[in-house]
Amino acid sequence: MSSGISLTDQLPIAIAIVAENGGIQYTNHAFNQAFGADATDWLREAARAVAGERGWLHGFFIDGEDALTIDVDIEGRVYRIDRIMRVEDGPAPAVALSFEDVTREREAEQSKSDFTAQIVHDLRGPLSGIQGTLEFVLTQESKLDPMYTDLLQEAQRETERMMSLINEILDFSKIKSGNFTVEEEPVRVAGVLKRAVRSLQSVAARDEVFLLSAHGRDVPQIIGSVEKLTQAVINLISNSLKFTPRKGLISVGAQIVRNENDLPDAIIITVTDSGMGIKAEELQSMFEKYKQSGTKSLRGGAGTGLGLYIVKQVVEAHGGEVSVASIEGVGTSMVLRLPVKRAA
Amino acid sequence: MSANPITPAKPDWGRLVGDSLKQNGAWHTYAKLLEARRAYPADLSLRGYVEILRNTIVRDFLAHPKGMQAVPKLSAEFMSNFDRFNLNAQEGYLVSLIDGRLDVQKLLILSPFDPFNTIFILAKLQVERAITVPQ
Repeated sequence: MSSGISLTDQLPIAIAIVAENGGIQYTNHAFNQAFGADATDWLREAARAVAGERGWLHGFFIDGEDALTIDVDIEGRVYRIDRIMRVEDGPAPAVALSFEDVTREREAEQSKSDFTAQIVHDLRGPLSGIQGTLEFVLTQESKLDPMYTDLLQEAQRETERMMSLINEILDFSKIKSGNFTVEEEPVRVAGVLKRAVRSLQSVAARDEVFLLSAHGRDVPQIIGSVEKLTQAVINLISNSLKFTPRKGLISVGAQIVRNENDLPDAIIITVTDSGMGIKAEELQSMFEKYKQSGTKSLRGGAGTGLGLYIVKQVVEAHGGEVSVASIEGVGTSMVLRLPVKRAA
Repeated sequence: MSANPITPAKPDWGRLVGDSLKQNGAWHTYAKLLEARRAYPADLSLRGYVEILRNTIVRDFLAHPKGMQAVPKLSAEFMSNFDRFNLNAQEGYLVSLIDGRLDVQKLLILSPFDPFNTIFILAKLQVERAITVPQ
C-alpha cells in the first residue's frame, strides 16, 4: 500500500481514503493543495456521519461492486466524487475517493437547461394554437373537399409529432438539470390509463388501429404524479402506434400483484401492441437515451429517441422498474411495475 | 466470502415463445406461459410475453371480416350439452348476454368487464366451441 500511496501523491487528481469507522486514512498532495490546510474538516465531518449511517459519504460503503459517482456541494462548490476502489488492507475497511471540481460544468448545464426549457415553453404556445385550429377545421369535415381533409389530417399528425418531440425535450432537460421531481399525491391508476387511452383514441381510429383498455376499475391507488404517469403511458401508446399496422391492436392493461397478506404490493401496467416487434439484440437497450429502434416506423419520422428513456426515469422516480418483451413479427409489450406505498 | 442463493438462469422467453407460437399456436403457448408465470412470479418480461399472447388472441378475434359488427351465437353443442362446458363466472355472465342478435360492439357496451377482457372471453368461448361467430 505504501508504494501505491507514494504514487498517488504524484497524481494531479485529489484523492482521499476514508474509513468506515469515520477515520481519514490518507489525503494526497493534490487533495491538500486543492482544499487547503484545514480542508479535511468537512471530510472528517462527513466521515463521522458514515459511522452514524447518514450523509452522502455513507452511500460509498453500502453500494455493491459497481463504480459509484455522486455530485456533492462542498463549501459552495460542486465536486464530482468517484469511488476508485475499496481498500481492504488498512486498519479498517475504507474507500479511496477522487474529487473533481465540476462547478463550472454544472453551471453551464444549468444555463443550457434553463435556455431549453424557455425555448420549449415558447414553442408550445403557438403549436397548441395550430393544433386547436386544425382540430376545429377538421370537425367541419362535411364541408371540406376530401383532398383537403387528407392534407389537414396530415398536418394534424405532424403537429402532434412536433408537440410530442417538444415535450420529450422539455422532460429530458428537466432530468438533466436535476429538476425532475415526482409529486406525492394519490394517483388513481385506472384514471391515468383511461385518460391516456382517451387522449390517443382519435389518433388510433384515424390510423385504423384498435386501442383497448384491459383493466377494471378496482386498480388500487398509488402515491406519485398523475401528470408524469399519464405522460409516460401516453409515450408508450404513441410509440406503439408508430409500429402497429392497420387493423392491429394496442391494449393497455393493469394487474395487481399481492403480497402474502393478500394486500396490493405493486401494480403492473402493460402497453402491448401487435406491431412488428423488436430484434432480440435491441431489447436490452430500449430504455437508453437517444435509442432509436432499428425497425422503421410505419407512421411519421424518427423521434428524439428520448421517449422510452423518459418513461424509465418517471417509473424509477416512483420506485418502480421497467421491462420489455417482444417477438419479431408478433408484437411488443412494455411492462411497468409501480409499488403500492402504504402508511407504516 | 458469502454464499449466494442459487437462482435459476432466466430462460430466453423471446425465442421460446416465438417457437411455441409457430409450432403450437396462440392458445397452447398462452397456457404454457401461465404455468411459467407461476414458476417465475417476479419476472416482469414474462408478464409482457403473456400480454403479447393475449393481444394476439384478441387481435385474431377482431380480424373477423365483420370486425366489431360480427354477431356471436351460442353453438348447437352448447345449447344441447352446456354442462360439458366448465364456464367460470365471467364466461357465464357473457354467455347470458349472447342472444344471436347483439354484435361485438354492443356486447362491449353491455359487458361489465373491460373491452379487451370481454373480447378475450369471447375468443375463449369460440375456441372452446361454446359460441360461433358466423361470417
